[in-house]
Amino acid sequence: MNNRLNESSRPNELWIERAVALLDESADALDAATLSSLNRARQAALAQRRPRLSAWMMGSGFVGAALALVLAFGLRQHPASSPMSAPVAIEPVVDADALASDDNLDLYENLDFYAWLDAQQQDGNG
Amino acid sequence: MPAAPATSADESHAVERFLREAERRALRMAEFSTGNRAEALDLVQDAMFGFVRHYSARPAGEWSPLFWRVLDSRTNDWHRRQRVRGRWLSWFERDDEADEDPITAAPDLGEPGPLARLADGEASKALELALRALPLRQRQAFLLRMWEGLDVAATAAAMRCSEGSVKTHLFRALASLRKYLEAHR
Repeated sequence: MNNRLNESSRPNELWIERAVALLDESADALDAATLSSLNRARQAALAQRRPRLSAWMMGSGFVGAALALVLAFGLRQHPASSPMSAPVAIEPVVDADALASDDNLDLYENLDFYAWLDAQQQDGNG
Repeated sequence: MPAAPATSADESHAVERFLREAERRALRMAEFSTGNRAEALDLVQDAMFGFVRHYSARPAGEWSPLFWRVLDSRTNDWHRRQRVRGRWLSWFERDDEADEDPITAAPDLGEPGPLARLADGEASKALELALRALPLRQRQAFLLRMWEGLDVAATAAAMRCSEGSVKTHLFRALASLRKYLEAHR
């Protein structure tokens, strides 16, 4: 990872070695406040690696929530235009009641006869 | 060249280790260029951000020259901004300069200079002054090649110049620094 060990390619002079030693000392002697600033800078830089996925997920969440809101608002504004409208849902219930009872079925089949009978009775009373 | 990290967490730890290992020298290098620790910290932070954003996914063996390349680029940008700012300031400060006392503005020929300070035992400060006196490219070549230990090709990649230019900058830097430091033995 680090090329600092590549000492053999350096010019082999004492004064350069001394200069490098002095530079190392100056880097090692940094004060605590500076080291803390460096640490914060490093952590802030590394934090860029983490939020990539979570930012993507947060974005998707926002889009999903917005779509759900739009859908809910649209249904509230136009309930009759929905494919699940009321007549379709209620009529089968009426038919089911009619089919469930034999009496009702007879009534529906002989509706004309009962109407004529009712008219005869009214004439008789009148 | 170390093997590529196996997982994202391993990779993050490897990047952190690399930055932690390089950050002190990076700060000192930036400080030699700016002469100001706060400015140097800003440059190093920018370099860390740029490195993590653009290069941390590259193989670990490439990180060192790439990190120094980002810092080198930020340092050059800083110098460009300073030059532009200096031009504007010099235009506004012409009147002030006209009022300056020529006697106080004259160089002090008796000033001992970095050599004498080194002889007094302040070797580190003298070296810092000598490094700051170098032209930017010579200083970068010296620090990357001699201190950071990059080879000529990696130094050229970090400085975005040819290997021949690195050798020329380094040769001149060594000649200038030797002049300062050998006199103190």
